[in-house]
Amino acid sequence: MIVITYITNLLTTGLGSLAAYLAAHVILCLLPAFFIAGALTALIPKETITKYLGKNAPKWVSYPASAISGFVLAVCSCTIMPLFAGIYKKGAGIGPAMTFLFVGPAVNILAISFTGVQIGMDIAIARIVLALIFGIGIGLFMALLFSKDDKAHHEATNNSDLFSKSAKIPLRIWILLVLLLSILIAGTLQVNFLKKSYIDVILPISGINNLQDVLNRLVPPNPALGIESISFHGLILIGLLTLFAIAALLGFNKIDTGFNFLTYVALGLITLTLIFASINLIAAPTGLMLGFTGKFFAETILLASLWLLMARYFKMNEIQGWLWETWHFVQQIIPLLIAGVFVAGMARAAIPAIWISTLAGKNTFWANLAGVLFGVFMYFPTLVEVPIAQTFLSLGMHRGPLLAYLLADPELSLQSILITNTVIGKKKTAVYVILVTIFSTLSGLLFGWLIS
Amino acid sequence: MEIKILGKGCPKCHHLEELTEEALYDLGIDTQIIKVKDIKKIMTYDILSTPALVIDKEVKCSGNLPSVDEIKVWIQEAGNE
Repeated sequence: MIVITYITNLLTTGLGSLAAYLAAHVILCLLPAFFIAGALTALIPKETITKYLGKNAPKWVSYPASAISGFVLAVCSCTIMPLFAGIYKKGAGIGPAMTFLFVGPAVNILAISFTGVQIGMDIAIARIVLALIFGIGIGLFMALLFSKDDKAHHEATNNSDLFSKSAKIPLRIWILLVLLLSILIAGTLQVNFLKKSYIDVILPISGINNLQDVLNRLVPPNPALGIESISFHGLILIGLLTLFAIAALLGFNKIDTGFNFLTYVALGLITLTLIFASINLIAAPTGLMLGFTGKFFAETILLASLWLLMARYFKMNEIQGWLWETWHFVQQIIPLLIAGVFVAGMARAAIPAIWISTLAGKNTFWANLAGVLFGVFMYFPTLVEVPIAQTFLSLGMHRGPLLAYLLADPELSLQSILITNTVIGKKKTAVYVILVTIFSTLSGLLFGWLIS
Repeated sequence: MEIKILGKGCPKCHHLEELTEEALYDLGIDTQIIKVKDIKKIMTYDILSTPALVIDKEVKCSGNLPSVDEIKVWIQEAGNE
């Protein structure tokens, strides 16, 4: 009997975490972030940034450029390694290449916005700022340490025109990116004029609150572990997302050959989901309370502008390319993320809080190092590090070691160390791994010290 | 004719493979596509991102996906030489 209760407890905790993730604020964050990632990959020519990474670029240009290029180009792992090797062998050299490798995985739009919404803006911002500073630091240090090799490399590189091409980003793509970013920000920013409801409507549907009671029994809320129950709002959103998933499977999979009817249905559903997620919806005894928030008006106007922009100024093949990339990010990441959230949720019930709080409950050097080492030896798929971190947080991990873990996890995994090794050799890889370990540990310590 | 696709096996690489197969089928050419997955070998070509399509040692595209028609033109050009 004890075993059964234990397993039931595990399952409901996992389910509860999953339900919490399907809540409105996550949808308002992740959906736009995927579309931004798709747009960056499909619509921004790589030459706009790679022209600053050639071997003749001055240091004060190439280092910041390689740091920023992570944000623009490195959403997909198939871009990171070739570009890293290219910068190292034929471009600006080992320093900027290492900067790119370090900053790239840490600052992609999906990871940052997801961290911000689920764990807190402080950690998200610290993740960007510290990754930039230490990324450039590690790059400069490696360049200094291996300056001899670098000189030889400069002489050996023939005059490749790999980095000399340049490209311009058209105005409409800038406008698209600004619109998408505004949709993301309007949906997730916690400020009063966006959260406040301006028009309240009560739909007199009786029995709605009974449904909420059923939901509460199905997935009991557990404030101690930070688990919410499914709200009525969440239930409708899950329904909308399921419909979208079905339409998208049939409408997006062959997107490169053209639009079909279901493509439009899927796009319509996703627009509707975003707008619906920005409404306040509460099941009360008197009926269903709808609150039209500032968020709702902002999202509606922005999404309408987006549709208009697409219809008037974008070519069909551009939209197809954008949706293709977005859909493939979704297919690659979401199934693993759902599984990850579920398992990380169960871990909350399975791991005794005392383990985590003893190991990393305080902001010490060893706690931060433990966070980093865990990040190195455990390999989690993209974005899954976030629910894992949330589990640690709810079990009493200090925010300092938490940041150390969040920095190290995407940076260093046994797999990425092996690939780096084939490009730059054993000695440099070893130095890089040691530097990342030291710098991530220091970042966590510094951040933990700053916030307390 | 030698057709190579460079890439470590991301969805985009698979898609380029499909597109190239389609182009070959349409042209009625029976050639095996060689897949290059080793990063060291990939880096001997002048490219900064994968997937890349290489026809007779010449890089035709890298990073972005061409249309089937574009691939057909490249294959025909290579065949005429």
